[in-house]
Amino acid sequence: MVAKGGPALEIDGLVLRYRTRSGEVSAVEDVSFALRSGEALGLVGESGCGKTSIALAVLRLLPDNAQIASGEIRLEGENLLTLGEEEMRQRRWRDIAMVFQGAMNSWNPVYRIGAQIKEAMDFHWPQRPSDARARERIAELFALVNLEPSLMDRYPHELSGGMRQRAVIAMALSCDPKVIIADEPTTALDVIVQDRILKSLKRIQRDLRMSVIYISHDIAVIAEVSEQIGVMYAGKLVELGPTPAVFSRPRHPYTWLLFSSTPSITGPRRKLQPLQGEPPNLLDPPTGCRFHPRCPLATARCTTQTPPLAPVTGATDQQVACWHSDRVPALDSLVLAP
Amino acid sequence: MARFVARRCAQMGVLFVVFLSLLFVLMNAQPGSISDQYIGDPNIPPEARQMIAERLGLDRPLPERYAAYMRNFFTGNLGVSFSEYPRPVLDILAERFPRTLFLFLSATLLAYWVGFRAGKLLVWRRGKTAEHTVNVVGIVLGTVFEPWFYLMMIYLFSFMLGWFPAGRLIENALWFDAGFSVNQVFLRLLLTTGVAGAAVAAVLTAACAVGQPRARSALRGGGVALAGGGLLAYWLASPMRPYAADLVWHAILPVTCLTLVAFGGVMLLMRSSMLETLREDYIFTARAKGLPERVIRDRHAARNAMLPIVTSLVFSLAGVLGGGIIVESVFSWPGMGQALLEAVVLEDIPLAVGALGLLGALALVAHLVVDILYTYLDPRMRVR
Amino acid sequence: MTTSTGTLTGPLWRTRVKLAATASASNWRLFSQSLLGRFGLVIIGVFALMALAHPLLMGTVWDKRIYDPVVGYDAVASEQVIVERVTDPTTQIDLDTARLRGDIDAQVGDVVTQLLQPAPPSRAHLLGTDPLGRDVLSQLMASARAAFALGALAALVTVVIATIIGSVAAYFGGITDGALMRFADLVILIPSLSLLIVLSGFFTLGLLHLGIVIGLLSGFGGTAIVLKSQALTVTVKPFVDAARVAGGGHAHIVFRHIVPNVLPLSLLYMVFTVTGAITTEAVLSFFGLLNVPMSWGIMLNTTQINGYLLRGIDYWWLVIPPGLAVTLLATAFFLVGRAMDEVVNPRLRSR
Repeated sequence: MVAKGGPALEIDGLVLRYRTRSGEVSAVEDVSFALRSGEALGLVGESGCGKTSIALAVLRLLPDNAQIASGEIRLEGENLLTLGEEEMRQRRWRDIAMVFQGAMNSWNPVYRIGAQIKEAMDFHWPQRPSDARARERIAELFALVNLEPSLMDRYPHELSGGMRQRAVIAMALSCDPKVIIADEPTTALDVIVQDRILKSLKRIQRDLRMSVIYISHDIAVIAEVSEQIGVMYAGKLVELGPTPAVFSRPRHPYTWLLFSSTPSITGPRRKLQPLQGEPPNLLDPPTGCRFHPRCPLATARCTTQTPPLAPVTGATDQQVACWHSDRVPALDSLVLAP
Repeated sequence: MARFVARRCAQMGVLFVVFLSLLFVLMNAQPGSISDQYIGDPNIPPEARQMIAERLGLDRPLPERYAAYMRNFFTGNLGVSFSEYPRPVLDILAERFPRTLFLFLSATLLAYWVGFRAGKLLVWRRGKTAEHTVNVVGIVLGTVFEPWFYLMMIYLFSFMLGWFPAGRLIENALWFDAGFSVNQVFLRLLLTTGVAGAAVAAVLTAACAVGQPRARSALRGGGVALAGGGLLAYWLASPMRPYAADLVWHAILPVTCLTLVAFGGVMLLMRSSMLETLREDYIFTARAKGLPERVIRDRHAARNAMLPIVTSLVFSLAGVLGGGIIVESVFSWPGMGQALLEAVVLEDIPLAVGALGLLGALALVAHLVVDILYTYLDPRMRVR
Repeated sequence: MTTSTGTLTGPLWRTRVKLAATASASNWRLFSQSLLGRFGLVIIGVFALMALAHPLLMGTVWDKRIYDPVVGYDAVASEQVIVERVTDPTTQIDLDTARLRGDIDAQVGDVVTQLLQPAPPSRAHLLGTDPLGRDVLSQLMASARAAFALGALAALVTVVIATIIGSVAAYFGGITDGALMRFADLVILIPSLSLLIVLSGFFTLGLLHLGIVIGLLSGFGGTAIVLKSQALTVTVKPFVDAARVAGGGHAHIVFRHIVPNVLPLSLLYMVFTVTGAITTEAVLSFFGLLNVPMSWGIMLNTTQINGYLLRGIDYWWLVIPPGLAVTLLATAFFLVGRAMDEVVNPRLRSR
C-alpha cells in the first residue's frame, strides 16, 4: 500500500443506460470522480440513484441490457472498459474486490467458508498456495475482522449473519486488492452488529491504507467511515467533497435537505424539512438539473441548463453541481426554531 | 450421519411393514373368499390343496392369517407359484431379480448421468431454436406412450435395420451346450462391472484431493482407463466371453429404450434447476471473484442445481420401475416385472403378490440410497 | 381497494368477478407467451372436438351397425378370389399375396379366402378398419371421450384429496402433519404401475374405478406434499391468525382461507395428473388388464392379439393412430401444465 497519493481509481464521464421494455433508462449521467490511493470515499443517495450501477460498471458485472454509452474507468491509469473479458476476469478480486449488499447470501451453501476463500486465492495468487499456507493467511484475515479461525472449516449456514458478513470482508481482502468497493456493507444487520462491523472496516482501512469506496443510502454509515463524500441524485453526482465540509456546510439543496430530514439529538432545535415529491422517472428525466422539480431554490435557468460539477467558491476541495450553491447556507436560518 | 442412516433404515422398515399389510388387505378384499382364489385353481392336485390350506392357514381367523402372512414374508416363504407349480415363488423371483436390477440400475444411472450433463451444458448456450428443440424432445420422451414407443423402436432397430435382436434374452442356439447358466453369467457381469465401477469412484474421489489440475486429470483419466481396461481384459480372457457378449448384445436395446424415456424428464429438470440456481447471489459472487466460467458452471451452479434432481430421483424411481415392467414385457426380457404381469394375467396370486412385494422392497431400498445421497450432498440437511 | 375504474361500488360478487376477469386476462397473456403452451392447447382442442363430434356423427351421418366402435363391423369380412399371376387388385390377386394373406399352399387358379379386415383406409373408412372390421376413426374418436372422462375424474379426485390433505396437514401441524406426510411418503414409494397391475388382477377395473384409484394414489402422494408446502406459506400469514382471533373455527379457516390460496397450484397439478392418467390407462389397456369398452390402449391390444403389431408399414393404420393419439394428448396436457407453471410460479419465467 502506498501513502495517500495518486488516484487508485478514476471514473471519468461515465454514462450508463439500461435498455428495458418500456424504453431506455438513463441510470448514470456523466459522473466523474477519483478515488485517491489509501482513501475512503463514500457514495450516498436514495435507492435507484445509480450508485450500485457504478460499482457494477467498475467490475464489469452489469446485466446484459446495460450499455456504457461513454466514459472511462481507470484503475491506476489503465482503462478497464477496453479490456477483453479474460483480462478483466483476471483483474477481478485481484485488483478490485467487492463486498455486496446482503453479502451473507454470497456464500455457496454446499462448500465450507475456508474452501470458498481459498478458491479465490487459487485463481489469483501468482502461485497457487498450499493448503497450509492458505489456512495461515485465512487465519490472519479472520483475525483482522475479529473472527475465530476455526470458523473457516464451517459451512455458511452454521454462521450468523454478522459472522458471514465479516467473512465476506475477509474474503475480499484475501488477494490484496488495490481497491475495495463495499456496497451497503451493513444493511440487513441489526444496529449493534452494524456498529461493530463499521468500526472494524474503518480500522482495517486505516491500518492497511486500503482504497475503499463505500456505497450506502444510510448517511450515518457513510459519515462514519468515509473521508470523502459523493452525493448522487437521479444518476448524477451533485456534490463531492471532504466529509466534515459536506456535512457541516452542504452546498447543494439536495444534500442540505438530506441532512435536514434527520433530526439531531445534540444539535440545536430545528424544524424538519422533508423532501417533497419523489425521485424522477429515469426513462424520461427532467430537463436541465434533474433535481429542479423538488428544489426549493429552483429558477427558470435550472429547468434548461444542467449545472456542471464545479468547485465551490472559497473551498476548492468541495465541488457541487448547482447554479445556486451560494444560497444554500442561507437555508439554515429557515429552520432554526424560535 | 450414521445416526441419520440408522433412523432412515428403521423408518423404511416400518414403511415396508405397512406396505405388506396393505397388500394383505387388498388380497383379502377381493370378491370371493381367499381360499377360492388360492385353492380353487384346478391345476392343483387335491392333496396339495389340503397342504396349502393348512400351511397358509386359510381356515384360521383373520389376525392369525395376518401374522402368518407377515412371518412368511420375512422368512422368505412366499408360497408356491400356481403357474409354475410346484416351483416356489422365491425361487422364481430370485432367478429374475438380477435381470430387473440390471435394467433398473443401468437405465437410472445412464439417464441421470446423461440428463445431468445435457441439462448443464444446455443452459450455458441459450439459443432460441436449440432451447425449443431440446424442450420438445425432452417432453415428448418423457410423456410418450411407452409400449408404443418401444414397439416402434423394435420395429426400427430389429426388423428394419436388423442391428439388435428383440424378443429374447439370449440366443438359445448359442447357449445350448454352454457350461454356464444364464444367471451365472449375468451375475458375473454385474459383479465385475460393480467392482470396476467402485474402483473408478474411488479413483475419482481420491483425485479430488490432488492439488495440481494436470496431475488430477491424469489421475482421473488413468484410473478410468485402468478400470475399464481391466474389466475388458477380464472378459476377453474369460471362457464366459461369448455368452456375456450375447447377453450384453441383447440388453442394449431394452436398456437404451428405458434410458431414453427416463432421460427426458431429468434433462428438463436439470435445465430449470440450473436456471434457478444461476439467479442465486453466490453465482454472482463467483463471477465477481473472477473465477473462470467453467468453474462457476460446474463447481458452483451444477453442484447446487443437482439437489432438486436428486429429490426428483425419489419421484422418478417408481416411474423407472414401472417403465421397467413395460420394457420387460415388450422385449420379453425375463425379469421380475414380466413375472408380475404374467402372474396377474395367469391369476397366479402367490407369484403376483410376491413380485409386488419384492418390487416394493426394491423401491424402498432405492429411496433409502437416494435419501442418504441427498444428505451427503447438502450439508444443510445434516443439521436435522 | 380500488378497481381500475374507481373506488369500490356495488355488491362484493361483482368486484370478485371483475378481479377474476383482470387476473384471467393477465394470466392468459402470460400463458400465451409460451409457444409450446399454445401448441398444447391446440392439440387438446382438436381431441376435444373429436370427443364431442363422435356422438354427433354416430347420431347422424354414421350408420350404427357399421361405425359403432365396439360392436360395429364392416359387413364385408372376406371374399373368395381366384388366384392368378396378374396383380390386378380389384378382382384377382397374385400368387405371392395369396400365399401371404390367405393360404400358404395356394397355386395359380385356386380359390382362396382372403381376409379383408383389417382394411386399409378408404373413402368409407378414413382410417381403415381393425381386425374385427370396426372403423378405426370411430374408435379413435370414442377413445378420446374415454380419455377425457378418465383424465377429468382422476384429476378431480386428486385435487380434492390433495388440497384437503395438504391444507389440513399444514394448518394442524404436529402429529397430523407427520402422519399424513409419512403416509404420503409410502404412497410415493409404491411403484404405482405395479400396484395397479396387481389390483387389476384382484378386481375388475373399469374406467370409473381406475380414475378413482389413480386419483387416490396421486392425491395422497406427491401432490399432497407439494400442496402442503404451499399451504404452509399461507398458514403463517397474519390473516390466518386474525381469522382465528375473530373466532373462526378450524373448518372455516381451512376452507375459506387456506384452500383458496392453494387452489391455483392444485389446478396446475390437476393438469399433470391428467397426463399420467391417460398414459397409465393406455398401458393397462394395452396389456388387456382393464374392463374398458374402447380406448387407445384397447385398440393396440386388439392389434396385438390378432398378430398385426409388428407387421410394419403394411398395417400402419392399426398401429400409428392409437399410439400417436396417446402420446400427443398426454404431451399436450404436459405442455399446458408447464406453461401454466410459468404463470403460477413467476421464478420460472425467462426475462
